[in-house]
Amino acid sequence: MTALKPRPAVLYAVLLPLLLLALLLALQVGPVDISLAKAWRDWTGGQTTIETLILFELRLPRALLALAIGATLGLAGASLQGLLRNPLAEPGIIGVSNGAALGAVIVFYYGLAGLAWFVLPLGGLLGAMISVAVIFMLIGRSRSIVTLILAGIAINAIGGALIALALNFADSPYAMQEIVFWLLGSVANRSVNELYIALPFMVAGWLLMLYCGRFLNALTLGEETAASMGFDVARMRLLLVIGVTASVGAAVSVAGNIGFVGLVVPHLLRPFVAFEPRRLLPASMAAGAILLLVADIAVQLLSETREMKLGVITSLVGAPFFLFLILKSRNMLQ
Amino acid sequence: MRFFTYISALLAVCAAANAAAAGPQRIVSIGLCTDQLLLLIAEREQIASLSNWAVNADMSYLAGEVGEIPLNDASVEAVVAYQPDLVLASTFAAWDTARLLRRLGYEVRQIPPVGSIADIYDLLRQVGDWTGNAARAASLAAEMRRRLADIERRYAARPEKTVIAYAPNGFTVGGGTLENDVFEHAGYRNLAAEMGIEGFQPIALETLLAAEPDVLQIDRDLSRPDSLATAYVGHPVLERVSEQREQLDIPLRLRICGGPMIVEAVEAMARRR
Repeated sequence: MTALKPRPAVLYAVLLPLLLLALLLALQVGPVDISLAKAWRDWTGGQTTIETLILFELRLPRALLALAIGATLGLAGASLQGLLRNPLAEPGIIGVSNGAALGAVIVFYYGLAGLAWFVLPLGGLLGAMISVAVIFMLIGRSRSIVTLILAGIAINAIGGALIALALNFADSPYAMQEIVFWLLGSVANRSVNELYIALPFMVAGWLLMLYCGRFLNALTLGEETAASMGFDVARMRLLLVIGVTASVGAAVSVAGNIGFVGLVVPHLLRPFVAFEPRRLLPASMAAGAILLLVADIAVQLLSETREMKLGVITSLVGAPFFLFLILKSRNMLQ
Repeated sequence: MRFFTYISALLAVCAAANAAAAGPQRIVSIGLCTDQLLLLIAEREQIASLSNWAVNADMSYLAGEVGEIPLNDASVEAVVAYQPDLVLASTFAAWDTARLLRRLGYEVRQIPPVGSIADIYDLLRQVGDWTGNAARAASLAAEMRRRLADIERRYAARPEKTVIAYAPNGFTVGGGTLENDVFEHAGYRNLAAEMGIEGFQPIALETLLAAEPDVLQIDRDLSRPDSLATAYVGHPVLERVSEQREQLDIPLRLRICGGPMIVEAVEAMARRR
């Protein structure tokens, strides 16, 4: 692939209208036919009708949640790929999402989530943080793709097993069935409450990651070079990790582990930002949001009442892409 | 020594006579609904063990009646330990357990799913026959009929209302179910059944809102501890809707199983019409 000349204006002139379109479509799609115009008229007129309830209490929170989580996953994928200087780094693949899901599961099913609004996303953050720490320990300074994938497999397996274990011992009679949600993710039936809980952590994480853009640019030349350019490498790396874990932890704690968004999106966009990590970050946010909105629309169109999980769609698209990337980098595997 | 032999022989004869008169003597139930039917119909001495569900006050109407009766976890091993002469189970929940118990030579009776109040009369008669308490089963059925007729008479003048049920995991009650029949006996029209939903099916919250029922029956019994399933019934939009609508909160234990307690569910609903 050849690098195109970076033309942010053109890129965003495509991404932003697409994002708006996807959002509008998400608001329009649902089991009941409603007129968005009527819902808007009723709402501005201060009336509560079926249309306003469906639009503002059901569809809008769901769409905004998909948008914010997609943005989080896209941005976190781009950040991790920059940080680990490894094209296969992604919250789902390296086990960060399962770690976050484990933290959230423990908080949610063992009655801790009721203590305060921030306990649930904080649990996700801590779980994600632990798995990032383990990843760093396992791969050290290696940039080997094999090491990263193997470490990811191990952390994912441990995370999945501990999630199942935690659900097995949970008091709720429904806990065991809900493993599918935590492993495949969904924004169905989520309400404005989940948006309020997760958004502050996600936004804080976004700001931290975006702040680290210049550092990621410098890091492409190696840690020594980045240090010689005046970056405190250890501090910047910590900020990035906090950014990734806060936003992914919050996203996973309200929507489960939605895989592969963070892998696919940066790869698709990289040629359009001249392979520059800093420019890749905001573009990945926008594209991640679009991808997840579209995936959620597909979920609703494909399954009317029995909710298909979002991760089914994203994995069906993302996993073959993952294989393609592995094949492409085969010479690096030797 | 001879005296003791005589006494024990006499006791054995008495026990045999008693068993012949009153049917099986070591009955084990491995399901919530058979637990309650046994408690209602059989003599306490006939019951060897009930399932753990029997003492769950959210689910079992007779949780307070279990007393000292031992509980089992519905596993084959636990059942065999009682050497039962009759095992009662439901057809849908424990088919694999039932099959294995039969292969081991135990007598297993399975109650069919109950889809209407009329089915309950058949069920009572069957369990009465199996346990040798036909007379008590018949009087329970007669009492049910009398009370239902009485309820219908008392509330006949009140207008009909529309209802939709909503349960954890977003499930609703459609046609062909016991709960649908309870709605009808209590003077409600179940809009989910009228939409063509049969049995227990998930319903989209949007569909539920758009149907605009007069009354919502929401299962909140099991809302603790937290789970995603119960988040469905805790969705804030239901709070918003119930500001304008009536809510029924008929406890699950009154309507989850086919049995005489269903009358109380009908009465509680009819009273709120």
